[in-house]
Amino acid sequence: MSGALGLALPTLRALGLVAAITVLAFLCIGAVPGDVVDVLALQGDLTADQQAALREEMGVGRPLHERFLAWLGPALRGEFGQSLRFGLPVSELMWNALPTTLKLAGLSFGIGLLLAFVVAVGAIARPRSALPALVQAVNIWSVAVPTFCVGIAAILVFSIWLGWLPVIGNLWVPALILAIDRAGELVKPLYDELKEQQGAPHVRAARAKGLSAWRIGVVHVLPGAVPVLLALSSVGLAGLLGGSLTMEVLFGLPGIGSLTLNAVHGRDWPLLQAVVVLLATGVVLINALADLLHRLVDPRPRR
Amino acid sequence: MSASLAAPPPRWPLGSLAAAGLVGLVLLLAVFGRWLTPFDPLAQDLLSINQEPDAVHWLGTDHLGRDVLARLAAGARLTLLTGVGGALIAFGLGAGLGLVALALGDPLRSLVLGFFDLLRALPGILVAILLVAALSPGPGAVMLALGLTFAPMVAEVVRGSFARETAADYVAAARVFGLSRLAVTWRHILPNIAGTLLTMAAIILPRCIVTESVLSFLGLGGAPDIPSWGRMIADAAEFAEEAPHAVAVPVLALSLFTLSLSLVGARIRSLADPLQRAGGAR
Repeated sequence: MSGALGLALPTLRALGLVAAITVLAFLCIGAVPGDVVDVLALQGDLTADQQAALREEMGVGRPLHERFLAWLGPALRGEFGQSLRFGLPVSELMWNALPTTLKLAGLSFGIGLLLAFVVAVGAIARPRSALPALVQAVNIWSVAVPTFCVGIAAILVFSIWLGWLPVIGNLWVPALILAIDRAGELVKPLYDELKEQQGAPHVRAARAKGLSAWRIGVVHVLPGAVPVLLALSSVGLAGLLGGSLTMEVLFGLPGIGSLTLNAVHGRDWPLLQAVVVLLATGVVLINALADLLHRLVDPRPRR
Repeated sequence: MSASLAAPPPRWPLGSLAAAGLVGLVLLLAVFGRWLTPFDPLAQDLLSINQEPDAVHWLGTDHLGRDVLARLAAGARLTLLTGVGGALIAFGLGAGLGLVALALGDPLRSLVLGFFDLLRALPGILVAILLVAALSPGPGAVMLALGLTFAPMVAEVVRGSFARETAADYVAAARVFGLSRLAVTWRHILPNIAGTLLTMAAIILPRCIVTESVLSFLGLGGAPDIPSWGRMIADAAEFAEEAPHAVAVPVLALSLFTLSLSLVGARIRSLADPLQRAGGAR
């Protein structure tokens, strides 16, 4: 396959995915019973006339396809309209919330990757220690124990029983919880892959040449594990965005997750629509990037 | 058959046995829990709020004086039903629809797989949040949301196994004998990938239960008057200082239950896989 086509096809596919999700999200949100005026009316005792006027002004009463077309033009220029609840431009709200989410996701991904790496490499280097058992334990922990339960347990123990620190608003506690969760998902496949690489012919040849264990490890074993790591990382980053949603709500962090939940409960559809498009684009971009890197480091054709 | 020299390891080690016991306990609680305490899970008793566990209220009361044990039992019922229902829908869509689409080939195949790709491009919890918001809230909406969230995972595994099995000689033989694509899939491929599907079920079910709890925790679960574990956690979290036990009980129950479920699943998986069975002489 020529290089240009190899690049163009995934790009087209990614664009198609984002477009399809945008439409699907619009349909979903359009089907939500009740609108923002219902929510405002509950809070502010609006009369029926006031409600009708408000609907007219906000344009929430118009048919779905009209709303979609009116939304699409500015959206393509990066303008997602006004939040119905906060009265601020949606893009401003998202820009303010994005750093928190990125910090949380980035921190937990970095720490998680490092943890997984240290434990997996350690378990390979010291097969008779407790480290291989730790690989299994961290893996089971991450699969089975929900992060939001760990989060609540952390709040209970540190903030209320021990009275150490105000955990609410703290970024590091949720980041660490998510990091351990992420490490658990990464460590087992990484360990399995490294183990397999150890028995590979080129590694045995290197050992026969009398190279040091370190040199074998860094130069001959690790590069073989990079494709697996890349594939896992892209899946992991998408999962991390999801995990950070609940953590933000739990720890009162003003990120995209808290914004999403506010938008759902307040029927603030311009905000919700924009968040969905933003997250979907993020995930698709991450996947496309990982895919590209995967092709670069692993030239073997894939199934 | 070669006899192994060392005694084979037990089929059910202590840890897995304890996990199986705990899963059984939760099942019993869900079924018979309503006869365990005389209290109604919804009945408020404002004279005895935030009580610590004692002889009357075995697990104490919450900020509205509701019996925590009664709510735990009612919650177990709802959480289990929704989780199992969600997992069933995920399998119906991912495995059922997925296999039919794979068997019949394009254009259905591309359509169905493309749909699953679409769902996969969003963080799972966001798909669930959108769907529950779009459908009116209730256990049915949550089940459907869980199903659609986890169906792509099932479909991905089914796609891989299907590709592997179709390359096998027995499939080609069955086709030569004149069986239709659907018949080959149903009679020959499905039995051969049943083990993989079982493994997948053991992975999906705990995740469905956790996601259900997260949704109810975020206030997007079933109707507000039915307690589920996630809802109990959300309710009690605001009063964690006055009644920490009311939070700790459902949090512990949920964590231990999903942990046990995963351990039991892993055990069943390795027992069902003859290659992994310790001391197996095949």
